[in-house]
Amino acid sequence: MLSFNVTVSMTITETVEEGMFQTENPINELNRMLVRYDLTPNQAKVYLFLSKIGIKTASEIAKALKLPRTETYHLLSTLQQKGIIFSVFGKPTKFNAVGIEESLEILINNEKNRISELESGKEAITRLWNVIPKYSESNSDDQENKFQSLQGRNSILVKLEQMVKESKENILVLGTELDFKRFYYTEFTDLLNKTKSDLKILTDLSPEESHVFEDIPVKKIKKIEDKNREDFCFIIKDNSEVIFFISNKEVKDMLAVWTDSKAFVTTLRSLFSLMWKKSHHIDETDAESILGSEITYEHRLREIEQEKMILNYLQENFQLLENNGGIRK
Amino acid sequence: MSKSKQKEEVKSYNVLIVDDNEQITKMLTTFLELKEHKCTVANDGREGLAAIKENKYDVVLLDLAMPEFDGYAVIKDLEDNDLLKEHKIIVFTASTITQEELDELVNRGVTSYVLKPIDIDQLLAKIIETADS
Repeated sequence: MLSFNVTVSMTITETVEEGMFQTENPINELNRMLVRYDLTPNQAKVYLFLSKIGIKTASEIAKALKLPRTETYHLLSTLQQKGIIFSVFGKPTKFNAVGIEESLEILINNEKNRISELESGKEAITRLWNVIPKYSESNSDDQENKFQSLQGRNSILVKLEQMVKESKENILVLGTELDFKRFYYTEFTDLLNKTKSDLKILTDLSPEESHVFEDIPVKKIKKIEDKNREDFCFIIKDNSEVIFFISNKEVKDMLAVWTDSKAFVTTLRSLFSLMWKKSHHIDETDAESILGSEITYEHRLREIEQEKMILNYLQENFQLLENNGGIRK
Repeated sequence: MSKSKQKEEVKSYNVLIVDDNEQITKMLTTFLELKEHKCTVANDGREGLAAIKENKYDVVLLDLAMPEFDGYAVIKDLEDNDLLKEHKIIVFTASTITQEELDELVNRGVTSYVLKPIDIDQLLAKIIETADS
C-alpha cells in the first residue's frame, strides 16, 4: 500500500515537472541561455529535463518532451559526447545528467578547446589559400563600395572588433549609453580602451553613469548636446569604414550596416565633427566650455602664466634697451 | 675673452613653434630672435606637420592641445611615417598630463617635454640642450 502511494505521488510530481518542459515557463529561459553554450534547443531541453527529473530511459525522455524517438537517441548521443550526460548500464539503457556547474564548466572548456583548434588551424588555412592562385576576371570588386548587412549581436561585435583592431588613425563613436551597454564586458570595449588611434566618443553619458566607458580618459568623451541626434548610433574607422545601427522594432535582433562607401564615411564624419565641436566634455563646467571645448580652465590659466613670464622678460629687456641703448642677451 | 670669440660661441638654431596661442608664439618668437635664433611659427597642427615634413629644424616646440589637428595627431602622423625619431621635438604643453603619459610620448620618440608655465631661461636652456643633443 505504501509502495502504491509512493508510486502515485511520484507519478503526479513527475507529470507536473515534466509539464514544465513543454509549456512557456522559466525553464525555457534557462533553455535559451544554454543554447549560448553551443547546445541546440532540443539538446538543452533534454539536458535540463534529465538534470531536473533524474535518471530516465530514451523512450521516457522522448515521450515526456514530445520529441521523435530517433532524434532523442541522436540528442542523447551528442550530449554524451559533450560529456554532460552519462548512461547507466542496464536494460533498457538509462541516462542521467552531470550537475549543472560541472556541465557548464565542461561546455566552456569544450568551446575554449574548439577556439584554440580554430586558432591553430588559421595559419594552415591561410597558407593553403595563398598557394591557390586567384582567378579574378577583373578587379572591379576592389573598387566598388561594399555594403554588408549585419544581424545579431555577435556578427556586429566581430566586425566592430575587427575595425578597432585595424584602425590606424582615428575611431569616432556616436551612440547612447544604452547602445553601448550591449557591448559592455566584451573585447570591443577593451580594444577601445587600448587603441592607439585617436578615439573620440560622443554619447549621452553623465559622469555618474559612465560605466561603459569608465576606463576611457574623459578627455576623449563628449556629451551629446543635440537631443535630436540621440537616435543615431555609428562607429567610424579612419576615413575608410563605418558601421551604423538600424532600429527596427519588428526585428528582435540587433541590426547594423557596415560600409566602406567613401560618400557615407565622409558624410558621417562631417556630422560627427560638427556634433563634436558643439558638444562638451563630460567633466567640463559651463565656464570651462566657454573657453573652448578642448581647453580647460586650468589649462588656460597655465597658458596665461606662460604668457606673463615671457612678457615680463621682454619688458625687462626692452627697458634695458631704452636705458642702456642696447639689448641684454 | 675677446668680443669676437664670445660671438662665435653663440650658436643660432632654427626653431619651429607649433602652438595655437598666438600671444605665446609672437612673444616667444621675439624672445628667441633676441637670442639670435631663427623662428618659424605654425598656429595649428596641420600647418606644423607640413612645416616639419618640408623643412629641417633644429628643434620643434609642439603644443599638445590645439583645435582639430592637435599635437597628438602630429606625433602620430610622424610616428606612422617613421619620421618621429628623425626630429627633435619638445612637447610644450599646458595640458593636464600625467608623468606616465609624458614618458610614453618620450618612449614613442618625442625628444623631451616642458610643461607650461616654465621660466623663460629654463625653456631656452632646454631648447639649446635638445638642439645640441
